[in-house]
Amino acid sequence: MSMMPARVKYRKMHRGKIRGVATRGNKVSYGDFGLQVLTEGWITARQIEAGRMAASHYLQRQGRVFIRIFPQKSVSAKPLETRMGKGKGEIDHWVAVVKSGTVIFEIGDVEEKVARDALTRVAHKMPMRCRFVTRRHSL
Amino acid sequence: MEIPTLAVESRKSAGSRAAARLRLKGQLPAIIYGHGEAPAPITLNYREVERTLKHGAHIVNLSLGGNMQPCQFKDAQYDHLGMNIVHVDLMRIDLTQRVTLNVPIDFRGTPKGVADGGVFRHDLTDLEIECLVAAIPESIRVDVSGMALNQILHVKEIALPEGVTHVLDGDKIVAAVRLPQAVSEIPVVPAEGGPAEPEVIAKGKAEVEGEGEADKK
Repeated sequence: MSMMPARVKYRKMHRGKIRGVATRGNKVSYGDFGLQVLTEGWITARQIEAGRMAASHYLQRQGRVFIRIFPQKSVSAKPLETRMGKGKGEIDHWVAVVKSGTVIFEIGDVEEKVARDALTRVAHKMPMRCRFVTRRHSL
Repeated sequence: MEIPTLAVESRKSAGSRAAARLRLKGQLPAIIYGHGEAPAPITLNYREVERTLKHGAHIVNLSLGGNMQPCQFKDAQYDHLGMNIVHVDLMRIDLTQRVTLNVPIDFRGTPKGVADGGVFRHDLTDLEIECLVAAIPESIRVDVSGMALNQILHVKEIALPEGVTHVLDGDKIVAAVRLPQAVSEIPVVPAEGGPAEPEVIAKGKAEVEGEGEADKK
C-alpha cells in the first residue's frame, strides 16, 4: 500500500544526479511544524508511508499531517540470480528525489512538544538526517 | 514599543561574490527603497539584524551618515535550510503614516468544543493589518476558549486594538472547531484488483518494436 503516480509518460527512468539544494519546498507552508532533510537522496514510497503511519499513530487523530513529497521516480531492479544483459529490469519501487533543505512532512494544530515527538518518530523512518523546523512568521 | 536603531554603511560593491565576502565578515547586504528616492544598497551588522528580527520588530531606525531614517522590514531572504539570513529589504517610511504588515495571531485558551470531541484547527497564523507605525501590535491575541463544536472564527470577528484595521476579507476563516476527519486521505493503491503499475500515456515501446519487425519482414 504505497504511493505512486496514476499516469506516467514513460515507465522506466534513468538514475539521474541530484545537484544543488532545495530552492522550493524548503519552508513550512501548510502546518506549524515540519521535518526538513539535511542531505539529498531518494525516499521510497514505503518509507513515506512508514513516516505517515508513525505520525498519525502518535497523534491519535489530533492535528493534521501533511506530506510534502511524492514518489514520482521509478526504480527498476533485476531478479535475483539473473545474468547481466537482456535489457533493463522491471520496476521494483517508486522514490521521491529530495534535495537538502526540502520539508518532507508537516504537522499542524498541535502543541510544539507533541509535534516534535511525532516528527522525531517520522525522522527515524527516513534514510537521511533530518531536523525539526517551525513556521516562520511573515513580515 | 521602542524602535531599535541599526548602524548602516553604504555599499558600493554589487553581485553575489561581493555579497558573499560581506557575509564572511559578519555583515549583511541589504537594500533600502521607497518614498520616491532611488534604491540604496547598504550593509548591516548580521547579529543586530538577526536579533531584531527574532524579537519581532517590524520598524527600525537606520543611522546613515548622521541621519536617522525609519524603515520597515519588507522581506528577509534565508539560505536553503532557513538558518541564516542572506539579504533583507527595507522600505523607507514616515512615522506618521499607516503601514500594512503581517502580525502573528496568538491563540489563547482551549476551546470548549474540544472537550466535546472536536479538534481546533487554524487556517491563518498571521493577520495582515493596517495601522500607524507607532501603534504596531506585537501580536493579535485571540481568546478561543469560548468556541463550541462546529463554530467558525472569521477575520471580522477578531477584536483588534484601537486604530488597527484588517486588510483581509472579513469572511475569511481564521480557525474552527470541527470533528476529526477520517485518518487517511492519501490515494493508496489497493492490494488486489487495482493496477500495480501506472498507466503509460506515451506511445508504447512494444508497439514501435512490433512495427520495426514488420518492416524487416
